[in-house]
Amino acid sequence: MTLRRTIEVVTKLAEMRVIGGYAIARAVAAINYIQPMLTEDLDILISIDGFEKHPSGLLLLGPIEKALADMGYTERTNVGYLVEDWPVQFLPVASALDEEALEQAIEIDAAGEGEAPLKARCLRAEHVVAVALKIGRLKDLARVQAFLEQSAVDLIRLKHVLERHNLTRAWKEFCLKAVIADPLIGIE
Amino acid sequence: MFGKPKQYPDNSGIFARKADGRRERASMTFAEKIAAMDELRARVAPLVRAREARKQSELISVSSRS
Repeated sequence: MTLRRTIEVVTKLAEMRVIGGYAIARAVAAINYIQPMLTEDLDILISIDGFEKHPSGLLLLGPIEKALADMGYTERTNVGYLVEDWPVQFLPVASALDEEALEQAIEIDAAGEGEAPLKARCLRAEHVVAVALKIGRLKDLARVQAFLEQSAVDLIRLKHVLERHNLTRAWKEFCLKAVIADPLIGIE
Repeated sequence: MFGKPKQYPDNSGIFARKADGRRERASMTFAEKIAAMDELRARVAPLVRAREARKQSELISVSSRS
């Protein structure tokens, strides 16, 4: 029971077209770029295409639940479906930023040495940072800081994403809180 | 009271080495990193279980009092 296996199950859901566009998001996406850290679940950003909508606006993820149940994963926790002992949270696209992040997600290899290749889609660094900034909890801001400290994000691309999604003010506030000089100043 | 100012050690070298370590770990492959996350999770699992058990017993004691 490993995170690798959990990711493999997610890729199977995509192969089976139970989910359309998808990408690993948040903490697990972040570790593609920065040092590994503890997290309680695997967040998967998914396209809303093909899912039925409840009149309340909620997206019905029944097809995912059914496909997982067919694969033997029937347990749920308060943070998502339990797949290979890792809770998996499927997060439907909920903003223009999510939509762009999903469209521009990259393919990564989650296979270890000597293992069969395991290609999975993962958000780009600048989108992981922008989403963390938008959520804005302390742990998200700490993640933004880790990206900067570890030189793990392309500042030019980040600046453009922040501008496109009206996050420049949130960025300035982050720099003040983190007591750092704005690294985006002077970048065109 | 106004004696010689106390001398404190300079820890900047320690912090610089820690930052180097973080950058080094950041350069691991994704596969290595997710394996490290499995290990981290296994390491804290007893703490998580203990916390859940404590929460549970607190809930039971609150509900038995009410």
